[in-house]
Parts: sequence; structure tokens; C-alpha cells
Amino acid sequence: MKKNDIILIGILLALSLAAFGGAALYAKLGTRQPQAVVYLKGKEKGRYPLSENITLEIRQEDGGYNILKIEGGKADITEASCPDKVCVRQRPAGGRGESLVCLPNQLTVEIENGGEDGLDGSTN
Amino acid sequence: MKKIYRAAVLAAVLTIFAGVAWVQIQNQTPKRYQAQFFDCFDTVTTITGYAKSQEEFSEKTKLLWEKLLYYHKLYDIYHAYDGINNIKSINDAAGKQPVQVESEIIELLKLGMELYQKTGGKLQIAYGSVLSLWHDYREQGINNPAQAQLPDQKELSDRAKHADMDHLILDEEASTVYLADSKMSLDVGSIGKGYAVSRLSEYAREIGLEHALISVGGNVCAVGAKEDETPWLVGVENPDQKSSEAYVCAVELSDAAIVTSGDYQRYYEVDGVRYCHIIDPATQMPPNYVSSVSVLTKDSGMADALSTALFNMELEEGMSFVESLAGVEAMWIGKDGEIRCSSGFKIHEEK
Repeated sequence: MKKNDIILIGILLALSLAAFGGAALYAKLGTRQPQAVVYLKGKEKGRYPLSENITLEIRQEDGGYNILKIEGGKADITEASCPDKVCVRQRPAGGRGESLVCLPNQLTVEIENGGEDGLDGSTN
Repeated sequence: MKKIYRAAVLAAVLTIFAGVAWVQIQNQTPKRYQAQFFDCFDTVTTITGYAKSQEEFSEKTKLLWEKLLYYHKLYDIYHAYDGINNIKSINDAAGKQPVQVESEIIELLKLGMELYQKTGGKLQIAYGSVLSLWHDYREQGINNPAQAQLPDQKELSDRAKHADMDHLILDEEASTVYLADSKMSLDVGSIGKGYAVSRLSEYAREIGLEHALISVGGNVCAVGAKEDETPWLVGVENPDQKSSEAYVCAVELSDAAIVTSGDYQRYYEVDGVRYCHIIDPATQMPPNYVSSVSVLTKDSGMADALSTALFNMELEEGMSFVESLAGVEAMWIGKDGEIRCSSGFKIHEEK
């Protein structure tokens, strides 16, 4: 009995440690995946992993829209309703800290955990 | 055996306590948050900082937004707002009467006057007469590229006669501003945003944000360093918009500001030639010296003003000007993509 107790306690200990380790690892893996985060008027609207090719239509009540294409690990705005098309002209974003902006539609797409050396901002 | 048993129970309990404590610490360590606004200075404002919760961060960024919006209204040259006299009010009263304004306008204009002297007129805040003409042609050219035209040379030089800084009259005691020439107007586009960001960074500290990065359309100002005391990393955008490289380099920023003036963001084209939004007061034309200039210094208002002034200068002239100033560094990107830095400008090296 006593020997079994020790084994039981040992197993419990190992399990709890594994659970903590697993949880920590999971949390890290979860946030480290490169993803495009879409914000409308400054509010987060969705997260899309850069590893999956997808084309998104981001439409707003006023009829404004942007088409966001994720392909080959990069996010790109390929079409938009805005008059200036500055967002369409922007180069695809895939590195950490890079972003796409459409001022008229108040849309931004931020890359989180991308491949490059982590920038906190940019000047232009 | 009983001893081992007790020890094991103790170990199990300790592990659980450690786990709970770890979770607690995770919840208490400030996390990184970001907020964005779209209604200030016709650009995107991004504030990055740390807080214990989203609520705490939102509370602070709301205060910052209100403050920035206030500056936006004060320095607006196109719109009037109820209950406040702004730059437009001063322009509308040109040649008529002095206008009573808030100290934030007086201080901004004083900075503009100081830098007009320092830069030999390369920074001109009383240049609205010429800038507004370019603005109208640029807007038309962007909306209708096939019909894009250049302003008439004679009209430009006629308008340039109404930009005498001596006709900008400040009365600090009465807190009034008077433009003594009815055809003159102020345009603070080259310093207003930077000055507002500088004041905003002070305000951020007052409300307890000690580590933050404020970017108003690429006017970037660091309040302190990051939470872990390493500097913020800010990328300098590649003027070559066709290149797949978004940034030419990164710089480290803590308690300092970097502002870039370039010809690649706001411009229009006439007969295949690009005309950017910055106009050299000496020629009334967009300068054609470099693709962009970034200025790194403590004060964001100074950085904003100097980046415009340097964009209006030939590289060598600008270089010796920067070297003559204490605590100011700059980086130029030439039309051919070549990078030149002042002696103290440090580019972040990737490890």
C-alpha cells in the first residue's frame, strides 16, 4: 500500500507538472502563430492565420468594403471601395509589426508574430 | 516511508501553490495593448502601451484620444468648430483683426517662428497662400488623373508675396494672433502634428503611461522604453513602393521621436512626373533632392519641423545643418535609394 501511495503521488506530481508545462506551451504556441488581425474603427474584428490562404470580404454598413487576400504567408488588400486606393497600392504585409491601412474605410490589418525582427512601429 | 510520504504530499501541495502563484503573476504583469483612432490629423493614430487589463488601457487611450482630437481641431485650417478659435479662425480674420486663441496655438506658432529663423526659411508656417493652391491642384489631379495640371507659375509667385513672417503678429499677453496681410494665411501642416504628439507624450506620462509608443501617421514618439526597458524598434519605410522590402532599416527609440518627410505618400502626377505635397518656399515648387528624410530627436515637434525643412534642402546643406544642431540626427534616402546618415544616427543591427 505504501509503495503504491508513493507511486500514485509520483504520478499525480508528474501529471500536474505536465499539465502546467502543457498549458504554458499551448499558450505560447497559440499566440506565436503568425496572423493577420483585422480592425475596423479601431475594434478587433477577426484573426486569420497567415498559413491558410483565404480571401475575405470586409463589408461595412455604409457600403464600404475591402477585399483582403491571404496567400503565401502574406496579407494583401486587392480591392476596395475607397476613392484613393492607397490600401490597394500598399505592398503585401507578412512581417511582424507590418500593417495595411485603409483610412477612408477605417480599416487596419496588423500582422502579429510574423517572421521578421519585431518592429513596434514605423515612420513614413 | 512515512517521511517520504509526507514529503511527497508537501511537494504536491507546493507545486499546486506555485502553479496558482504563476497564474496570478501572469494576470498581474502588464500586458501589451494597442489602440487606434482615425479622426485626428487625417491619418491613423496608433498607441501601443502596457496595462493590467484592456479596461485600464482603454481608459487611458480615451483620454489621449480626447487630447489629440482637441489639438486636431485647434490646428485645423479647413474647418471651424463651435466654441473654439483655431488656425482657420486666424486665417479668416487676416487683415481684419487679432483673434484670441488658446496657449497651445501661441506656443505652436512660436515654435514655427523659431524654426523659420533656424532653417533659413525652409520651414514656413505662413505659407498657406501657396500651399492652398498646390493643395487644390493636387486634389483635382488625384481625383481626375487625366486632367492633372500644374499651378500657374505667375499665380504661384504672386501668392508667394503674401507669406511674410513679419506680418504674423503674436501678442502673448493678450493671447492673440493677427495676420497683418489679408491675403496671407497660416498652414501648420509641417509642425502641428509633431507638436501635438510631443504634448501628447507628456500627457501620457501624466496619466501614468510610462512606456508607450505613439504614432500619428508616422510621426512616432516613444514615451520611455518598452516595459522590459529595451528600446522600441521603429522601421523606416522604404520610399520605393514597388519594392517588396517594407523598411530600409529600423532605429531604436526610447524617450525620443522620429519623423519622416517623403515624396512617396502624398503626391500627384502630371505628365508622368511626380509632384509631392511638400513645397520649397524658395522656389514655390516641390523639391527634388531626396526621396525621404527622417529626423531623430527628443522632441517630436522639432523632429516634424526639421524633417520638412531638410526635405527642402540639398543633402550636403542639410547634413551640415544637422551636424550644427545638438541632439538632432537624420537619415536621408536618395532618389537612387542610397542611404546617408548624420554622424550620430544609429541604425538598429539585427542579431
